[in-house]
Amino acid sequence: MSSSILICDDSNLARKQVLRSLPDILSADVQLATNGQEALELLTSQNFDILFLDLTMPILDGLGVLQGIKENNTNIAVFVISADIQPEMQSKVLSLGAKAFLKKPVKKEVLIEQLQQHGFL
Amino acid sequence: MSLESYCANIVDRINTGVLILDLDYNIVMWNRFLQVHSNKSTENVIDKSVFDVFPELPRRWFERKLSSVIELNTQSFCSWEQRHHLFELPHTRPITTDSVYMAQNCTFLPVLDDSKITNICLLIEDVTDVYHYQTKLNTVLEQLALSNRIDGLTQIFNRKHWEECLAKEFSRARRYDHGLALIMFDLDCFKLLNDTFGHQGGDKVLIKVASLVQTLLRACDIFGRYGGEEFAIILPETDLTGALDVAERVRRSIAEMIVEFQDEIIHASVSVGVAVINPADTRYEDLISNTDIALYKAKNAGRNKVFAINELDEFV
Amino acid sequence: MSNFNLTEDQQDCLQELINVAMGQASDQLARYLDTFVYLKVPSIEQVSSQSLIGTLNPSDTTVAVVSQGFFGYEGIRGEALLIYQPKDSDKLADLLGYEPDELSVEEQIIDLSSILTTTFLNVFASQIENQMSYSAPRLLASHKGAISEHIEQQSYNWDLALKVKITYQVTDYSFNCDMVLLIPESAIVNITDVLDRILASF
Repeated sequence: MSSSILICDDSNLARKQVLRSLPDILSADVQLATNGQEALELLTSQNFDILFLDLTMPILDGLGVLQGIKENNTNIAVFVISADIQPEMQSKVLSLGAKAFLKKPVKKEVLIEQLQQHGFL
Repeated sequence: MSLESYCANIVDRINTGVLILDLDYNIVMWNRFLQVHSNKSTENVIDKSVFDVFPELPRRWFERKLSSVIELNTQSFCSWEQRHHLFELPHTRPITTDSVYMAQNCTFLPVLDDSKITNICLLIEDVTDVYHYQTKLNTVLEQLALSNRIDGLTQIFNRKHWEECLAKEFSRARRYDHGLALIMFDLDCFKLLNDTFGHQGGDKVLIKVASLVQTLLRACDIFGRYGGEEFAIILPETDLTGALDVAERVRRSIAEMIVEFQDEIIHASVSVGVAVINPADTRYEDLISNTDIALYKAKNAGRNKVFAINELDEFV
Repeated sequence: MSNFNLTEDQQDCLQELINVAMGQASDQLARYLDTFVYLKVPSIEQVSSQSLIGTLNPSDTTVAVVSQGFFGYEGIRGEALLIYQPKDSDKLADLLGYEPDELSVEEQIIDLSSILTTTFLNVFASQIENQMSYSAPRLLASHKGAISEHIEQQSYNWDLALKVKITYQVTDYSFNCDMVLLIPESAIVNITDVLDRILASF
């Protein structure tokens, strides 16, 4: 099974951390976005199965992306990967439709566990 | 000697208090510094609550402080500048300072075992010296600041400070469109008074005038000695009617004033000029010039008089 | 005077380390203070000693500035300045969980500063496998005139510093304050060494 993946984070380092944590089977079809607006534009022009989404970003933040996805009825599994780990923020992104909340810096075993749980592996 | 006994040896000989508590605030360990200064025996201290051993501790504050160390796993501080001391201990300069207890800087450190907090370590430094010299320095600085503002003879504001106040009041009045009035007055024939009674007599009159006028003013009015025998009053948020009322009281009080000097009675009078802030005034110096013109008019009109310039530059 | 401009990768790496540290520190703070802390993207820039006061931008209304030094292994060291506005200080005692009469406003400000600085830097240090120690926090000045004077009167023995500015916003108390970390020229090369090591691991 192959899935197409979008990673949205303003930090190059953080994008690399996600890439490095992806199992080989999923790392073939990956695109990158550096802020929320870029991600929404890519989501309207192409189909993705999975979005790894940061929250604190310039131009449009992760909450804005989640809202955009909801409004456009985009069919995609969103995994939020953020440094903002306050419980209030975690429950907020889940209520906006994210599949899971992962703490930064992301760890390979945590990422794989989440992908398995949601049937992508 | 092992490293451990080296450390124990040093902890017992440093000039800093070391107190280790468990997470229920019971004392696990202390060092010789605390033992000697608190004059308590170790057996009455170990395993006892810190609040029983040191009842002077502000309990609620202390518990909240420790909770920040425990919950956030980070160190915390308490300086003598905010709290002179936590522990009522004697200090090493009882003779040459006026501090009753040892002034202290305290540090609260989390003690970790395998990244889990097990204890809290308090370090208590004796800073009585620092406290003593800083307090002295502050007193001197306050005196210096005061003597920079006060006229030595009359004990009211000197001209430099008074003008700084006027500059502030002027820009405030402009910014908020408030009223502002200025009174300047000058002792009539002061040279003659000095010639008759000598400078000591003149000085006595200046002192009496300053203290008398001060009693006629509101707390917000700013009174200063402008020059030799010239005084000035800033009246914030005051219109011409209010200012004239004050000016007239000043004139009358001084005319009725009696100064006794070497078995003689000295009478004095003042000429008073009044002005209020004018839309055309751009600098506070404009207000001073207008008041000065009114004062000059009052002098020329035969002394012991009040003259004013209103908003329209007319004499009243 | 040498420019130490960070490369784009170094800047990005530092920014991400700070983001993660801010996140974890805010989480600890939110639990301890029982409120939500709003996070903004921190700013990183180079400042000269002449322009320091301008970039700190203490407004007419700044009431207090607290300084606390920090130092760790590998020559990582600097000074943290916490800058408060007057409306911030009203509810501090309540936020910290003290009764207002238990401690003075100055003590509240110093206490909070110490908590903000140490929680953030502890997490930051652990990410770069370091450990921080701190000097006691000191109130530099308690109103605007005094802080400008304090900084302007100094003649510094440094030309350039790395400045990291982090704004804390506590929603329930409509409180915010700026934490400015200043890393002097002599310590910057030590930071860039650490950043390069992390970047090399990718």
